[in-house]
Amino acid sequence: MGFLSALPGAIALGLIWGLMAIGVYITYKVLDFADLTVDGSICTGGAVCAVLVTAGVNVWVAMLAALLAGAAAGLLTGVFHTLMGIPAILSGILTQLILWSVNLKIMGQANLSVSARTYGVVISQLEAGWAILILFGFVSVIIGLLYWFFGTELGCGIRATGNNPNMSRAQGINVGLNKIIGLMISNALVALAGALLVQYQGFADINMGRGAIVIGLAAVIIGEALVNLICRNFAVRLAGVALGGIIYYIVYQLVIELGMDTDLLKMLSALVVAIFLAIPYWKKRYFSGFHRKKAAKEPPAPPPEGGETAAQEPPAAAPLQGGQSDV
Amino acid sequence: MKRIKSIALAACMLTAGAISAVGLSACSTADYTVGILQLVEHSALDAATEGFRDALQARMDAAGKTVKFDYQNAQNETAACSTIANKFARGYDLILANATPALQACANSTTSVPILGTSVTLYSSALGLKDFDDNDPAATTGINVSGTSDLAPLADQAQMILDLFPEAEKVGLLYCTAESNSDYQVAQVAEYLAEKGVASERYSFTDSNDISAVAMRAASESDVIYIPTDNTAASNSALIDGICRPAGVPVIAGEEGICSGCGVATLSISYYNLGVKTGGMAADILLDGKKVSEMPVQKITKEECSYLYNAEICEDLGITPPQGYKAIGE
Repeated sequence: MGFLSALPGAIALGLIWGLMAIGVYITYKVLDFADLTVDGSICTGGAVCAVLVTAGVNVWVAMLAALLAGAAAGLLTGVFHTLMGIPAILSGILTQLILWSVNLKIMGQANLSVSARTYGVVISQLEAGWAILILFGFVSVIIGLLYWFFGTELGCGIRATGNNPNMSRAQGINVGLNKIIGLMISNALVALAGALLVQYQGFADINMGRGAIVIGLAAVIIGEALVNLICRNFAVRLAGVALGGIIYYIVYQLVIELGMDTDLLKMLSALVVAIFLAIPYWKKRYFSGFHRKKAAKEPPAPPPEGGETAAQEPPAAAPLQGGQSDV
Repeated sequence: MKRIKSIALAACMLTAGAISAVGLSACSTADYTVGILQLVEHSALDAATEGFRDALQARMDAAGKTVKFDYQNAQNETAACSTIANKFARGYDLILANATPALQACANSTTSVPILGTSVTLYSSALGLKDFDDNDPAATTGINVSGTSDLAPLADQAQMILDLFPEAEKVGLLYCTAESNSDYQVAQVAEYLAEKGVASERYSFTDSNDISAVAMRAASESDVIYIPTDNTAASNSALIDGICRPAGVPVIAGEEGICSGCGVATLSISYYNLGVKTGGMAADILLDGKKVSEMPVQKITKEECSYLYNAEICEDLGITPPQGYKAIGE
């Protein structure tokens, strides 16, 4: 009974982290860039939103400002990587460190209250049912916008950059610029999730981004595993990532309801991510030989090696050609 | 592969269902269920939780009632606070929120279950209450939150610096800017020292990696160093000791834990007693039907604090233990 009544809260938190995970998906899956900026930018979004809301600024304006602050963080990582030649992971870590100081300066203190009882916020854990409805709207609109964007010429360029940077460069795509734009969009979404999280939990704290990337990756991977079975449409996959966030938080809530030792939680979530990351590798390592033999016997079957990669990025293929013909 | 995946998924769900069924059937039949949300494992916070449990259990035993404690630790992950608070918000009789983010998450999860905070310094800023005066001993929050504040007797601590080191010209204030309560304490101490005509300077670090560099500068530029009740400083007190003791600079600490690591003396509140006080409030709510919104937030008074000194560091620095101070650990 206790668990069922706690479900709305878990779903709402899952939607917020699902939105954050959609940001992670854009860098990790679409752009093929392991971006660790998110641990800092989720807090930046939260800090900007908290400071503006407590200063009496309209909450929607505050969320827009958070979005822009996140984009700026992504820009910084992109500049580190493309203009200064720093490896992807290190650029993200550097920005994350910079953001720790920046976030402290934005808030002026380590912790800031944005209680729903004092300030007019959009969502709050006090009204989890409403929060789910509003967040559902948020996630739907954002999935719609991203679906549209990644179908445009620019969006296709970003996807091509992630798929094969050398080929993209040969096709006249500005790979560096596309990486920067992808990082900006991703971190803007993460910061927006941070702004929503701050309102939902009622406070911003300098530590709130700690471990965010693991939750984001977990949601991405759970979502991929679920949705890949059903449909490979880009919008459906984004929805799957949001669903992954919800499942992560329902399981998390269940684990806490069962009174498991919370000391072990971080290790468990990291291990779950590690195992899910290993599955595609194992599949390739131990099952691809079987596919090859089978394919040799049946020539008309789709090419197995390409089949694996094409299955990963099928939506890129079709609109990409349209985009290229315009170039 | 698809089939294997879906079978595995179904198996996972079945297991989860089975575990949850076991978990639900194991529900206790105690008269009261109290949820304890502690931010992180830390000696001060642990002591407060222990004091709370001991005090409430004693009152329950005396009244012939039973109480079940559900202790959850958020591992310093503020996101976990909301999930745990979400559990406590339903079906629990009372919530103890230990440390500021824990209190904030709980206060934003329920308007009906009584919430008691502890190890929280300022309730006004923690809860965003504009009308709440932290210095008013009778101040109530007006919502379903009350509790105890760990605000140290700052003026007395500042006076202690002046009493022990009357010839000190400059006091260094060493603290972490990523701690929610340190900034306030440092500002209060600086103000008090300024009133008495003693100069002070802030030396702040943002995380444990910067401590040694900042502490070295503080030690070279100050006659005495003051450290407030700062968790990061507490965890790194051995490092600070390794810098300040060789430099011959005495440290006055905000609480006993820091003092035992690197301080000369302290006027310390006891987090165990703070927890005991909170446990008493919980018993008043559960057993005597007091309303949480009408209970003032309680503070530790100077009389409940103890003047302590660190014998080993005092001896090394050639400081005679002051009159009326007790050695730590005695």
